Amino acid sequence: MKKISSKVGGLKNLMFIGALLVLGLILLLDIYLVDKILAPLEYFYLFFAILVIFYGLYPLYVNRRLTKYYWERTKRHRLAVFGLSFIAFLIAVAIIGPFLTQDPTKVNFEEKNLPPLGFSIQQSVYDLKTGEFVTRETPGTWKHLLGTDDKGRDMLAMLVSGARVSLQVGLLATFIAILIGTIMGVLSAYLGGWADMGLMRFTDIMMTFPFFLLLVFIIFIFGPSLAFIILAIGLTGWTGTARLVRSEALSLRTREFIMASKSLGASDARIIFRHLIPNVLSSIIVIATLSIPAVILAEAALSFIGLGDPTVTSWGVVLHAGQRTLDIAWWVAVEPGIMLFLTVLAFNFLGDGIRDAFDPRSQL
Amino acid sequence: MSKGLVEVENLKKYYPVTAGLLSRHVADVKAVDGVSFYIMEGETLGLVGESGCGKSSLGRTLLRLEEPTAGRVLYKGSDITRWDKRQLKELRKEAQMIFQDPQSSLDPRMTIGDSIGEALLIHSIGSEKDRLERVEELLKRVGLEPEHAMRYPHELSGGQKQRVGIARALAVTPKLIVADEPVSALDVSVQAQILNLIMDLQRELELAYLFIAHDLAVIGQVSDRIAVMYLGQIIELADRTELFSHPLHPYTEALLSAIPLPDPHQKRERILLQGEVPSPVNPPPGCRFHTRCPRVMKLCRQELPTLKLLEGNHLVSCHLYG
Repeated sequence: MKKISSKVGGLKNLMFIGALLVLGLILLLDIYLVDKILAPLEYFYLFFAILVIFYGLYPLYVNRRLTKYYWERTKRHRLAVFGLSFIAFLIAVAIIGPFLTQDPTKVNFEEKNLPPLGFSIQQSVYDLKTGEFVTRETPGTWKHLLGTDDKGRDMLAMLVSGARVSLQVGLLATFIAILIGTIMGVLSAYLGGWADMGLMRFTDIMMTFPFFLLLVFIIFIFGPSLAFIILAIGLTGWTGTARLVRSEALSLRTREFIMASKSLGASDARIIFRHLIPNVLSSIIVIATLSIPAVILAEAALSFIGLGDPTVTSWGVVLHAGQRTLDIAWWVAVEPGIMLFLTVLAFNFLGDGIRDAFDPRSQL
Repeated sequence: MSKGLVEVENLKKYYPVTAGLLSRHVADVKAVDGVSFYIMEGETLGLVGESGCGKSSLGRTLLRLEEPTAGRVLYKGSDITRWDKRQLKELRKEAQMIFQDPQSSLDPRMTIGDSIGEALLIHSIGSEKDRLERVEELLKRVGLEPEHAMRYPHELSGGQKQRVGIARALAVTPKLIVADEPVSALDVSVQAQILNLIMDLQRELELAYLFIAHDLAVIGQVSDRIAVMYLGQIIELADRTELFSHPLHPYTEALLSAIPLPDPHQKRERILLQGEVPSPVNPPPGCRFHTRCPRVMKLCRQELPTLKLLEGNHLVSCHLYG
């Protein structure tokens, strides 16, 4: 057991590089030989997954006892456990859901504005036989459990597809932001002096940069695509992380174990990667879980004001569509609203729980 | 003439004080201000002084964990203040440090085994298997169990953590160890155990220590010679027995009179020092101690005394003598 855990240093990195090479190879094949193996966003997604497996899940598995210790502490936070289970459920839905539901873009005007199962409304329907509008009772059906919108699209399918979009945006944009923020923060704190000054002033400038303006420009130039929206949110959203990581790293830098490592002859790179980053990781995880809901909401807001990607069915898009028919079909707006609400709440609960679990001062 | 393992000559460490937008350099904190001494192989030099007098800065500068402002540090006759990165890495195998706060001197995210083994990994000593064996051997040597290698720092007590800190310092088989207040964060009962361990290791491995503490009782127990530091300077340096029986400098006298005696009936004159330690940014002219010295003379306010060698290998920096 000891053997494996101490061997990890080399073996893990080797496997990581191998996985990245395979991904790169597929990308090259995609570009030069075969057309469209995967969509651009999927490469992004795979890269993210590889990173999470090697630097998130694998260390958790290797350091099972430390993981168990933190899990015990997180578990005492009931709401955090609820948050975690809801997120796990959401991830499962996002991955396998779209294969089980109907096509979220399939339009069927004969089944428009159907209420969710168990509800029924009065609505005027165009009768094909008489050629007149008649008011008729329309009950919810088993075929469309959560009802349909004004174009007859299945709400359940749209919500499932929206879960995938929201998680993609939330995870990827947060990941990009956290990555940039961590690098900036750690470098700033470790190098100090002029480098610190320069990096932090740049952060200040980025902080005041009008994010919406950038987004409008990007959408104007490249067209409204989900990948660009993710990039835009990620590339502008790292400033808070950079500042927090910098302040954490500054206080860590004066701790004796950093001095001890230096006195053992450790290089700067070793101190940064083996001591500084693992110790700010808990704060980073907390910022990440708290920033994911903000990003999901940002995407929903963008879709709502019409700056979103029109080819994907995100919760924001559905919410926007439901707004027009709020007087007759309330569920079209309410359902994605509830999903957004629960998702944001779940991430916030989890973030709170993790923060308490990682804080050694809190006596849970 | 070679005096020993380490020779320090007129070592200075100033920390700049900056102000304003452009970080203008306005003054210096003179933490270590012209210190000279030597440490023989296998010997313990105790360094005592009140907090803020520059003891820790001296210890760190000595190992070049912080860059000295001026002066020389000769290790086995070679000036380490001029060594480059590669040579410094070699120095790290010869000279190690034990830290004050066992709570913060171990990385909370690393197992004890990884923390101790880190030195071996950095210097690529031995194979995977050798390293693990070495870690277990070190753990046993400092009085812990091999099973502790899998534990995390939060699972150990303060005394155990300090043992780990010692094991980590020993991993590279050093010749010199700077122990920066190694027991001041521990309970009295644990202090004695750790001190005994430190002394046992010295006998066994022929280690030289620079033992930094603010507690004269602790210093008296472990040291061969004792240096007394005040405001960045060494004001007295003598053999342990000599210093305790014949303290010369008024500051040393005051320090010794503050040691509690176990016998309640024994009467002794307590020397109470007046005032605060002056700021190391702007130390007083003349003798650093004249603002608080009970035996101050006119000369003390004008001229800085130098360390003079008196009878019995006793160095003192005071105008009263020599």
